[in-house]
Amino acid sequence: MDYFNIICIDDEREVLDAVVQDLSIFNPFFNIEECESAEECLQLLEELAAEESPVALIISDHVMPGKSGIELLIDIQKNNNFVGTKKILLTGLATQKDTINAINNAKLDNYLEKVWDKQKLVQMVKELLTEYIIERGFDYTDYNDILDPATLYRLLQ
Amino acid sequence: MYRKQLKYILPFLIPAFILSLPLNAFGIDHFTFVEQRVMAIFVLATLCWILEPIPIYATSVLIIMLELLTISTKGLWFTKIASPDLGKLIDYHEIIGVFASPIIMLFLGGFFLALAATKYKLDINLARILLKPFGKEPKFVMLGLMIITAIFSMFMSNTATTAMMLSILTPVLALFSTKDLGKTAFSLAVPIAANVGGIATPIGTPPNAVALKYLVDENNISFGQWMMFGVPFVVILLFISWMLLCHLFPSTAKEIKLNIDSKFLKTPKAITVYVVFVVTILLWLMGGNHGMNAYVVALIPVTVFSMFKIITKEDLKKISWDVLWLVSGGIALGIALDKSGLAQHTIASIPFATLHPLLLISGAALLCLVMANFMSNTASANLLLPIVAALGASMHSLLPYGGEVVLILAVTFAASLGMSLPISTPPNALAFASGNIKTKQMAKVGIIVGLVGVLLSFAMLYILNEFSIII
Repeated sequence: MDYFNIICIDDEREVLDAVVQDLSIFNPFFNIEECESAEECLQLLEELAAEESPVALIISDHVMPGKSGIELLIDIQKNNNFVGTKKILLTGLATQKDTINAINNAKLDNYLEKVWDKQKLVQMVKELLTEYIIERGFDYTDYNDILDPATLYRLLQ
Repeated sequence: MYRKQLKYILPFLIPAFILSLPLNAFGIDHFTFVEQRVMAIFVLATLCWILEPIPIYATSVLIIMLELLTISTKGLWFTKIASPDLGKLIDYHEIIGVFASPIIMLFLGGFFLALAATKYKLDINLARILLKPFGKEPKFVMLGLMIITAIFSMFMSNTATTAMMLSILTPVLALFSTKDLGKTAFSLAVPIAANVGGIATPIGTPPNAVALKYLVDENNISFGQWMMFGVPFVVILLFISWMLLCHLFPSTAKEIKLNIDSKFLKTPKAITVYVVFVVTILLWLMGGNHGMNAYVVALIPVTVFSMFKIITKEDLKKISWDVLWLVSGGIALGIALDKSGLAQHTIASIPFATLHPLLLISGAALLCLVMANFMSNTASANLLLPIVAALGASMHSLLPYGGEVVLILAVTFAASLGMSLPISTPPNALAFASGNIKTKQMAKVGIIVGLVGVLLSFAMLYILNEFSIII
């Protein structure tokens, strides 16, 4: 079975912990990484790329000291090592201009507002992971428990 | 921890052990080096397909490569050193040619039809129209779904058909109350119908293709002939499965309304797809009346759809090459067992002739059923059919019961009837992902349908033989 990474980025420790806690059901199948800044995330990505360890999903905050979340996601969008990696922006503080930038240049897959609903987040992550696994041609049968059936059926027709 | 490594060690250790034995250790007269190598390859294939240390289609490619390296006329130099015990090397053309054998081309034709049908929404539109007469009562909607799923899986891959049907069902089942057993019934109905439906045509499911390899010369069965017994078999087994599902998991919902929102496309390309689809199937059903066999006909959709860009370069990438390779590996294994003489020699050295033929037929079918439950249906057919075919050809006591054809068909049908676990078939895995089915429920229905199916296939083969239809 292939082991994928999910990376969560937020400069506030409590928020980061809350996101990771909400995603704990994915733990047996995915390696959940935590980063407190965009720079830390980029460094981690470099290491993962060197190990050829696939990154399925990145959930990033926007407003952070140093590089912003949207700038980080744009970097990842342009990086050929992470083709197909799903991106969620999790923020309450993005302006309209930021949002437009994120959609146009970071090719955002989803936008989630703080404060988020756990159910919604989990469902969103399930759908995106299902898409990632099918689109990248991995064997979906290993991940049956955490896939979103509707997405699975749509993509396998 | 130790167990985990065994699956990587065993498939290489045991074949290596076989290769290291001296020839006279096997107790088979005139045993040759080539036969010894084929035996090692066969054991390796069996272990790899059961334990899956590598993907199952990779095992197929490995078989073909090992055959080329060790038993072909163009193999490694030390495998060809002349010796009275060497045996007969196989022409490399024949081994490498399995990638494009007529059977593979037949399947490719089927894949093209299925891809085009999905792309131009022919499947979903047909589903919409065919479902209408079944009304709204859950019981009958389920029957309709099963019939349509079965019809589609006769020509399309069982997996794609299941995915399509489940995607129609998912939003509707979400509205059912959580305790309603109807959810389970519906979610199980689709994979069962897809698994069973594949039996009806030679291109319905890969095990059938593997069987075609052994149904040659006087045992040849045409596309239309296959359907003549395949379709009635599927109809009866579907009906039994439907009654079983209605009995075990009655739905409390009063009505169910499937919303299929689509319209027939009327663009020139779509019309080409409709025409080619109908023409190809008609040509297949007509048998040899027009001079072409099913393999030649299969290239018509491939050509036409490529010419008119109905299947584009991008679409070509969606062809299930893994399935084609899996079948190729099975054919290569069959060639090696047959041409090296291993199959005949081994069978001659085991006193099968003393066995009652009926015991043999039922034993082989049940073994295949058990294997197909735990591993890929195609891999089960790949392993059993070459042996069964050689056995059938050598056993004269089988003749009153229909000869090798009956034995081959019984095993082929059994290969498609393994469906009691989520891992048994891809349709089962998909249905299980819906979350509406418990493993126990799937096992219960799967075992019953599997056993009933095998018994039904015996009855059908008996009738076919008794009245000298086809066989």
